[in-house]
Amino acid sequence: MSQVAVVGGRAAWRGKLGTEVQPAGARLDVRRALQLALAAIWLLDGVLQYQAFMYSKGFSQMLAGTAAGNPGVVAHPISWDATLVEHHLVLLNTIFATIQVLLGLGIAFRPTVRVALAASIAWALGVWWFGEGLGGVLNGAASPLNGAPGAVIIYALLAVLLWPADRPGASAPFTAARAVGAPVARALWLVLWLSLAYFALTPANRASQGLNGMIAGMESGQPGWLAAIERGAASLVAGQGLAASIALAVALVVIAVGVYLPPSAAKATLVLAIVVALVIWVVGEAFGMILAGGATDPNSGPLLVLLALCYWPVRASAAPAVSPSAEGKAL
Amino acid sequence: MTPAWILDILAALMLVVAAVSAGRIVAARPWQHGSVFTDTDVAHLLMGIAMAGTLAAGLSTLPNVAWDVIFALLTAWFAVRVVLDARTNGGRALAGGHCAPHLVHSAAMLYMFAALAPAAGGAGMSGMGSSGSATQTLRYPTLAFVFALILIGYTIWDLDQLSGRRYGTTPARARLTGVPAAVPALAGAGSSPSTLPGPQAEVTSTPASTTSLAANTDDGTAALDADRSGKGSAAQGLLLSPAVTVSCRIAMGATMAFMLIIMI
Repeated sequence: MSQVAVVGGRAAWRGKLGTEVQPAGARLDVRRALQLALAAIWLLDGVLQYQAFMYSKGFSQMLAGTAAGNPGVVAHPISWDATLVEHHLVLLNTIFATIQVLLGLGIAFRPTVRVALAASIAWALGVWWFGEGLGGVLNGAASPLNGAPGAVIIYALLAVLLWPADRPGASAPFTAARAVGAPVARALWLVLWLSLAYFALTPANRASQGLNGMIAGMESGQPGWLAAIERGAASLVAGQGLAASIALAVALVVIAVGVYLPPSAAKATLVLAIVVALVIWVVGEAFGMILAGGATDPNSGPLLVLLALCYWPVRASAAPAVSPSAEGKAL
Repeated sequence: MTPAWILDILAALMLVVAAVSAGRIVAARPWQHGSVFTDTDVAHLLMGIAMAGTLAAGLSTLPNVAWDVIFALLTAWFAVRVVLDARTNGGRALAGGHCAPHLVHSAAMLYMFAALAPAAGGAGMSGMGSSGSATQTLRYPTLAFVFALILIGYTIWDLDQLSGRRYGTTPARARLTGVPAAVPALAGAGSSPSTLPGPQAEVTSTPASTTSLAANTDDGTAALDADRSGKGSAAQGLLLSPAVTVSCRIAMGATMAFMLIIMI
């Protein structure tokens, strides 16, 4: 920032503009940086919820649509919720949006990080059921390309893995292991990515035109450059549904087991995970349809990238074991 | 469409930010010898008024072309500042500097006014609430999305730094103009990265023994004449504190991101 000093009746610039040496900033803890990224995604999610579309009947219809194909015990509460939202649309949607904004701000605000992360887990589980119909896991509609197993459940997973506590004892090999331990963290990663591999091979996805139809369906309403990408990708997999699904599933399996490999190999599979997540976000999810103006969230792509970064091998000193007394202040 | 009362609340918030920024400029007494005011306060004042006028129905400010010129100048100004800053501090000018967020804010405002697709009713940029945000869209929505992402990033970062007590709630202590910036305890530098910086993380001072001193804090907020700072009221001290500037920036960044997203 520049400052103008009025000296001798004239405004005078203090020093030579732009030449002030900034003090060295504090080294940011990796976990705190990842928490902030999660906070940013929550904030974006909340802001998206204020869009005009969310205040239209389209939103309640979208909620009701997630009940289709689910077992009655899952579907009936979704239908009830959708009806409730339809009747109190402005009030409830504003509450939803505000909660998500507050979750983002709460995670970023250090004194409230624990409360916000805990609340985000509860909120994410609720939205996974009532807002996403369990991500289509039970109705056969789930696909890695459309956000399976539900973007919002990844928020909850990230909140658990980035919980601001450190397990005493051995230092964690990666950030996600600091709160829950390496075995649990690796198991969660394995389950998530193997489930994605499974969904890639479901009948709907391995059908000849399955992936083609899914990608082509994202083109509507997008800016020209993104629509062109969608068209190109759709034509690439046209009639190749089975082969493309198998290739995707193989990549997802490699990613799933990657965290059990030595650090150098693990890094390679994590890079693959990031690349796959970005491809999913751009091609399969069209940036969560944000540019088309009807997105409720940025979808799973950025969350999968963030998750992969949580498993990036770190030096032992980056994840120190802390005493119980110090644990309370750890972020 | 997004309810008008939500837009009105945000417009009121922006007017508060503008009022606070105006208060900071006045409290810094730029008409007196040796006083200092900051360009970010001026930028916040202008942005607050412009955004309030955009959000609120019936609140007309300047014509769009005037805002285009103003924000083009501010963008150029902060761009120069960032370039010069980067020559001295390298990448930290973008990540930890204070000019880069204002450059993004100014550029986002310039984009917003320049890229607005005329509404069906011809309402222009005045009053998203009056014509309905559903009819107010921006050309080049990809750019709006990119700006929104960056603004959200800076907002989250500022909130983290604010709650980590990087920014104090007392006015920056003075130091001799021209003395290289030191601000040794800022930013919790050197503190454990995984713990909350303690109270010592607030801005400390070098001896203020003369008048006509200018603070050069990391957040670049107001500086006070040494004598005046001692006499100033607590309220004035709080008003001129770095925390207030950063709080204004947080409110402004979040609101700007909101506006960009709902106009995609």
